[in-house]
Amino acid sequence: MLPLLLGPSVLLIAVFVIAPAVYGIYLGFTNTQLTGFAARDPDFVGLDNYQNLLTSDEFLGSLGHTAQFVFFSAIIGQTILGMAAALLLRKKWLRGKGLFGAAILLPMVVPEVVASLTWASVLSPRDEGTFNRLIGLFGGASAAPLQEAPMLSIIIVNIWRGIALAMIMFQAALEDVPDELIEAARVDGAGAMRVFRYVTLPLIRGPVFLYLLLTTITTVGVFGLVYFLTQGGPGSATQLTSIYIYQHAFQYSQIGLGSAASVILLALLLVLGLTYVRLSKVEV
Amino acid sequence: MATAATLEKSTATVRKPHRRMSRVMAVRQAMQYVLIVLLALFCLVPFAWMVLSAVDAQAGPTVQSPEFTLDNFVRFFTKADTPRLLANSLLISVSATALNLACGIFGAYALSRIRFRGRKTFMFSILLIRVIPPPATIVALYLMMVKMSLDNSYLGLILVEAAAALPVTLWLLKGAIDAIPFELEEAAWMDGSTRFGAIRKIVFPLVGPGLGAAALIAFMAVWGDFLTPLVLLQSPDLYPLSIGLFRAFTAFNQVDWGVLAASAVIYMTPPAILYGFLRRYLFRASIGSAVKG
Repeated sequence: MLPLLLGPSVLLIAVFVIAPAVYGIYLGFTNTQLTGFAARDPDFVGLDNYQNLLTSDEFLGSLGHTAQFVFFSAIIGQTILGMAAALLLRKKWLRGKGLFGAAILLPMVVPEVVASLTWASVLSPRDEGTFNRLIGLFGGASAAPLQEAPMLSIIIVNIWRGIALAMIMFQAALEDVPDELIEAARVDGAGAMRVFRYVTLPLIRGPVFLYLLLTTITTVGVFGLVYFLTQGGPGSATQLTSIYIYQHAFQYSQIGLGSAASVILLALLLVLGLTYVRLSKVEV
Repeated sequence: MATAATLEKSTATVRKPHRRMSRVMAVRQAMQYVLIVLLALFCLVPFAWMVLSAVDAQAGPTVQSPEFTLDNFVRFFTKADTPRLLANSLLISVSATALNLACGIFGAYALSRIRFRGRKTFMFSILLIRVIPPPATIVALYLMMVKMSLDNSYLGLILVEAAAALPVTLWLLKGAIDAIPFELEEAAWMDGSTRFGAIRKIVFPLVGPGLGAAALIAFMAVWGDFLTPLVLLQSPDLYPLSIGLFRAFTAFNQVDWGVLAASAVIYMTPPAILYGFLRRYLFRASIGSAVKG
């Protein structure tokens, strides 16, 4: 009788989370359209959608963009800056830890629309844009970052947004590294870089790997942050797979194709997700 | 320069024997200060436009020194369409959070106290659900909602948002209920309480902080969501702030930058404040990663 208490939760998750995932797999085998004839009476088309996708430069390009985006923003940028922040905020002599910590957290805390909006002003092509004023100080000519280096721009925006999560995860991991160990290495004459490389890093390898999986998974799901700024453009320069799916399903009305693309994305992530759940060794 | 002086003093006290070392240390510490300040600036500078323009009578799309006014906020609350955005955001987020918690607390109680078959599988499955990126299910979800006539309605969006936040809520609350000794409930039974009476008298009061944390996380997730309302809602009457801001920003003809900046400030304030309350609690809970996005 008491397990029934779980009923409402199971029902909500089953209907609004599981069912769409399953229904999506079915839709991927059809030529369903958002409007028109194929909306009312879709045909079963087998693997056509998948064949189209896997031979489509646009879709493969979107996978490539997502891979680039994940690799440079999440795996490289957020990890390095998050680690730097976590290591710096651990120094005993550092004053104003609370303020620095709060500043780094702010980009993560605000809604993604606000995050995009702030960056729209920074990356504005006008001379008065924050970025252009900054390079003006160093004598550089004004640029239009979102047009001239769109991928780099959105990578930087996403690094900015994700430093905090990396920092938090690494701070928690670093708490388990005994100070004596680091001091002992320093006394033996090891420099800061060597201490990090040979003492600290091996001790927090597990949490770091876990973070890399987690950030990869969440970064693949990034949509609003980029869509708000570029809508996938210019051309298809920042068309991530998430944006590809949205545009094809809702703007070009190709529900079947969009669903098949979703399934491909899901399949790729499920592998990472299962590894994550296995490795995170959560207690149930 | 003042900081360099204090730095040198503080290192000198730590490393008494090496006077010459302390100069090297001071330089190194100063460099690390520079690093952390640069990092903090990188994080804060993008907000400059929003904060300055929100109080600028002549606000434009880029940073400029403001001609101070609070008129943008007054206009936000008196314009025809903007107060509605805030009301919609509140309605959707509060309802979805309430539904989420109502389902979550009972579900979590069952998961915590009862060893039924499939419990472990269920816990791991909902953890795995967290890895499904929203863009990967949104297409099928939209079509389902259309077929159930739940698209373009508050109810539909609230149900979806409540469900999407449930895995995290269940995990958090299960942990919180695990921490309440079962003996307390058994003692209440001894005193004649029913099982539900014991839940009401023992579990509800003690689960307070966990419930609060779950509520804030669910609220912030719904409040900040962009993709789901973008896809599910068509009538501007139903738009929450996230969509309202997006539409206002992409309205090429005439963007009211001052009101846009003021809206953004209003929109970001609740999560920024709520996060302050949460911070200490959250990262002790194993599911801290849930707050991203």
